[in-house]
Order: sequence, then structure tokens, then C-alpha cells
Amino acid sequence: MNLLEVKNLDIDYVTKEGNLKVVRDVSFTLKQGESVGLVGESGCGKTTLAKTIMRLLPDNGVISGGEINYKGENIVTKNKEEIRKLRLNEIAMISQSAMNSLNPVYTVGEQIIEGIRSHTNMSKKEAIKRAEEVFAIIGLEKKRLKSYPHQMSGGMKQRAIIAMALSLNPSLIIADEPTTALDVVVQDKILSQITEIQKQTKSSMIFITHDISIISELCETIIVMYGGKIMEKSSSKVFFKAPYHPYSLGLQNAFPSILDIDKGDLISIPGAPPNLMGELKGCRFKERCPFRTDKCMEELPELKEIGEDHQIACHYPERVDEFREESKKKETWQMVSDRIINESKGDA
Amino acid sequence: MSNEYLIKVENLKKYYSINKGLKDVFSKEKSYVKAIDDISFTINKGEILGLAGESGSGKTTTGEILVQLQELTDGSVTFDGYDFADKSKEANRRFRQDVQMIFQDPYETLNPRFTIFETIAEPLKIFGMKDKDEIYEKVIEALEIAELRPAEQFAFRYPHELSGGQRQRVAIARGIVIAPKFIVADEPVSMLDVSIRADILNLLRNLRDKMGLTMLYVSHDLSTIKYLCDRIAVMYLGKIVEIGDVKEVINNPQHPYTKVLLSSVPIADPDYIRERIEIDDELPDQINLPVGCRFEPRCPFATDKCKSVDHALFERRDKQWSACIYTDKELILKK
Ligand SMILES: Nc1ncnc2c1ncn2[C@@H]1O[C@H](COP(=O)(O)OP(=O)(O)OP(=O)(O)O)[C@@H](O)[C@H]1O
Ligand SMILES: [Mg+2]
Repeated sequence: MNLLEVKNLDIDYVTKEGNLKVVRDVSFTLKQGESVGLVGESGCGKTTLAKTIMRLLPDNGVISGGEINYKGENIVTKNKEEIRKLRLNEIAMISQSAMNSLNPVYTVGEQIIEGIRSHTNMSKKEAIKRAEEVFAIIGLEKKRLKSYPHQMSGGMKQRAIIAMALSLNPSLIIADEPTTALDVVVQDKILSQITEIQKQTKSSMIFITHDISIISELCETIIVMYGGKIMEKSSSKVFFKAPYHPYSLGLQNAFPSILDIDKGDLISIPGAPPNLMGELKGCRFKERCPFRTDKCMEELPELKEIGEDHQIACHYPERVDEFREESKKKETWQMVSDRIINESKGDA
Repeated sequence: MSNEYLIKVENLKKYYSINKGLKDVFSKEKSYVKAIDDISFTINKGEILGLAGESGSGKTTTGEILVQLQELTDGSVTFDGYDFADKSKEANRRFRQDVQMIFQDPYETLNPRFTIFETIAEPLKIFGMKDKDEIYEKVIEALEIAELRPAEQFAFRYPHELSGGQRQRVAIARGIVIAPKFIVADEPVSMLDVSIRADILNLLRNLRDKMGLTMLYVSHDLSTIKYLCDRIAVMYLGKIVEIGDVKEVINNPQHPYTKVLLSSVPIADPDYIRERIEIDDELPDQINLPVGCRFEPRCPFATDKCKSVDHALFERRDKQWSACIYTDKELILKK
């Protein structure tokens, strides 16, 4: 059975200027034990999606359509108390800035133990034992439970937060850039510890990052988002060899590697993400896509199955060979850049 | 690239004294954070040197000293024949005009109330340019070089009307408008989305190729260093542990710390099996630094001998220097 089933999800932010259609018609499923990586440019709605699954949207955020079925029950219609129980017990979230959310006046141990006890009926002794266990797994000495946040390095604090999130054996872990603020050596170790725990407890994971190489190592499945929609969903194995969607192809050109493979010059995707405020017509990627046609300007492509566990939202899956070939060339993207300049002249 | 150096750094030190409490005020022994502790290197004309290392390694401090945002504690820096200790008017004018810095955060470095034109024109005015047409021409030229086109349109926008990548281009245009010889770029792409980083890296490389600029590129990201730089220096707790040609260092790291750093970088290829080198990921206390090799307490190859060495650099391969007392062959045998 699927642990999580997100169906036609629409999310809006209500602002003075109007409604921001931040997530539109997003659907995906997550099996027990599966880990999926979510990538996409800043502002494409990754954090919004994650927060919605935790029902942690800010006051001006509304779920305007769709369902989030967790273990068969729709989270969208649950009340506050039911949601509180779900958090931590079932679904745990680790965010980038979480390490700053530790309370400076209490020891880290006190905060974890309090967290465990408010969600279970464990005795204090049991809670302490559990805290020590998770500390050990995440590579923190037991004596660190007695430390105050200011006595710990960034890496230690982030570990403590992760320990807290994992202390109740959640079935689903949502990690939103959990290591972005940390140095590579620390990041690498924490990531391997997270996967270790995730495998041991067979929990599922949604991992949000800008760094697709982390997804390649950590997740079986990758979801590429753009402008509030899923552009491509695929197994990592297939995706990293042969991405399909023009946006994914563009991303592939943009990443440097330390391996000694000469990819030639890196190429950026010209332009900027779409404004999600006004009326949205056609494909979200149309402004920046080198291959767009009149159809793309008018008609929104649906997310379609193009292979086993592989979906893309593009009108032209059959032209993939041509797209792959063309997208490697600088001129292809230069053309987009020129087109954007021309269009902006028209606006002025 | 010529073999003539533009910058020579010799035995550079930067210590910050710290007062821990009243007791320390009266005690003779002061505590220091040794942010940079005796490093030497040169940067050739037209070369891009990458400075790598974790936070706390001293790489940003080094960059800031080279643009004179900070005073050095000890050692010397010569720039284009002028010593940093030279306080004459002429030397000072040279430093301020020929050396520019590009910062990490394009959001913070631009004044929101200035148009792009005003922002870029400011350094020209500081250096005494008065002719309005000349200023306009220079600003447009800088915008063109930074690939903000159509330049005439961008010139009269405000920072909030630009994307992050465009703002970083404005910061670069401002940095190059007075035609400096040397630029320090401290993590110039780390705040930008990965999909647009390539543009800025290509732009920096073009500045070198087309204008002959010399550059220090400070970053914790080894893959962008590999893409942009000719040489790399790896810092650890205030010391340079390895320096050499960037491709050589990345393909054949000689120092254990460089090996650890490289083995920690995730690879975007699901079939690639990465060999992690296991080490303790906590940095030692920055005040009570380890004696001997600074990396010794975490180094998987360390021996007792390492506790009494002084970070002298050994040329282990052609023009590739490592501060480890062991050769690569010896390290492999230890495994
Ligand atoms: N409370 C809010 N009110 C209005 N708009 C918001 C609010 N929170 C986020 N947004 C906007 O919604 C969009 C999506 O934001 P979100 O944080 O989900 O993106 P993201 O993909 O996580 O980006 P990043 O990679 O930068 O973390 C952005 O345009 C953002 O500015
Ligand atoms: Mg986010």
C-alpha cells in the first residue's frame, strides 16, 4: 500500500496583490520505505508542499484543492488535535533553519525528552533512554544531552534536531535542505546517518534540496518541480542517465562535477521562474524552453506516463532524442536568451 | 597566463585576540584565534586561484586582507610591486583602484534606493571622474561586459526589479567598472540558484580571458573551483595544507585533508560508488589548536610523528605542494 498519496493538490498564498498559485495539480505517491528527492529552483514551491503535508502552512496559505492521503486518511480534512498527534509520531520534519529553533535556556536533552513525553505516554526514564538511543545513532555522545545549544557546533545542533525528529520512529521523514548550511564533511556524514536510520526503521522520506547529486546518492525517486508543478518524476537510476523534460535537460547542463569527465562548458537556463500571481496559460516552462511551440503557449501539458515509473509534463515526449541532442548546444540556450531580451523590449 | 606574479603573500598571519573575562585582562598570556597562521602563496597575472576549505579555515579572512578590508597581523603582501605596508598616497590609490571585491550576497551589497546606474557609477565618481557622458559610457560598457542586456534598460532599474543572478551581475559590473587588475570573489555564486550559477562562473572566466583580470575565488565548493580556477589552495585551520594545479589536486590529492574533502562530495551518478573516508567531523577548538599538524587529531593516517611537525610544504608532484610529512605512496600503504 502507498504510505502517502498526494492527489491534485492546489495551494495558494493569499496576499495583498492577489493569490499566488504556488502549487498546482501536484500528484504523487510514496511507498513505505521509499525515499523521494524533490528538486527545483528557488520559489518553485518545495517548502510549501512539505509544510502542507505537515499541515504547517502559514495563516495566509490555503489548500484550495486536492487530497493528501496518509495511510489512507485525508490529512487535509483533519482537525488540530488529530494533526498534532500526526506530527512527530507519524510524520517528522527536519528543516534547514531548525538548528536555530532550539531553545537557548534549556539543555538539548530537556527539549528532546519533553518532546517525546508530550507525544507519548513514556515515563521520564523511558524517554531518556530513547533520547540516548537516537543520539547514539546520529553520532552524538550521550553527555551532549546535558549541553545547552550555545555549547554545540552547528553540526551538533542539526544532529540534535534530527535526533528529535526521529525519536518517535516516524513513518515519514520530510527533510527540507537539512544540511545546506553545513560544511561538506559534516553534511556528508549526517546524510549517511539519516539514510542509515531511514533504512533501519523502513520509514519513507521526502528529501528537498537544490543539489541533485545528493538525490542521486540518497533517493530512489526524483521529482523535478518548476513553477509549482511537477515537470518530471522518475527513478533516479533512469533520470541521471537520461532525463526527458527540457527543464531537466537544462538542469543537467548547469551542474559542475568534480569527476574528471569533460562535459564542456556549463550552461545556465536563461531567464527566471514564472510569476505565479496572474493568469497562467500554457506550459509553466514556456518562457525558458528552447523547444516550445504554439501549443505550449496555450495548452498546459498533463503529467503523463512515458515509461515504467516515469512521468513527464511535456507535449512532446516523442521528440526526446532531438531535445537531448539540441540541449547540449550553447546556441540552443543562447537563442532562448535572445528571445527573452526581445520579448522584454516588446514589453518596455 | 604569464609566470609573473601579481600578488605575493609571505608568512601571512592574522590573529584575533580574545578577552574571556576580567581574569584575562590581568594575566599576561593572551588567548588568540589564529585565523591565518603563516601562509605564503603567489598569484600570477591572469591567473585564477581557488581558495578552498571549511568554515573557520581562514579563507574569507585571507580574501579580506588581500582587498585591505582587514589589517594583517604579521607577514607581508606585495601587490604589483607595492608593499601593503607602503602607506604613501600613490600606493594607496593603486590598491583602492586596482583591487576590488565581489561578495557572496548580491542582496546585501546593493543599495536598494540607488538605480543600477547610480550603483555602478559610484566608484567612478569616487575616483574623480566628472564628465557625465564619460561616466554613462563606462557604466553601459560595464553592464555590457556583465551581460546585462539591453544595458540602457537595466541601467535605470532598481535592485528589487532584478533577479538574484542579475543582481550578482550588477555587483560584478560595479567591481570591474574602474578596470581593476585583481578581484577577490568570495562565494559569489553560493546564494544563487544552481540553474543560473554557470552564467556567473562563465562571466568571471571571461573577465580573465578577455580583460586579463587576476582573481582569487574563495569557495567551499570544490566543483565550482574545479570549473573556474587554474590553481587551488586548500586551507585547514589557518594553514595551507595543499596547493597546486586544480585538476592535479582534485584528481591526485596528496594531503589527507584534501582527500577527505573530496571524498565527501556527492556525485550525480547513481552507478558511481564513492569511497568515503571516515573521520570525526567536528573541528577542533580554534583557540587551543592541536600542536604539530593541525589535522592530526582527525587524520585517519596520523602517527606520533605528526604531533611534532610544523606544516612545511613538500613538493610531492610537479608544482603540487602538500603539508603532509608522508608521500601519497606512504599514505596508501598505511590504509
Ligand atoms: N507566507 C507566504 N505568503 C506569500 N507568499 C509566500 C509565502 N511563503 C512562500 N511564499 C512564496 O511562495 C513561493 C514558493 O515558496 P517556497 O518556499 O515553497 O519555495 P521553495 O521551492 O521551497 O524555494 P527555496 O528553494 O528557495 O526554499 C515563493 O514565490 C515564495 O515567495
Ligand atoms: Mg524551501
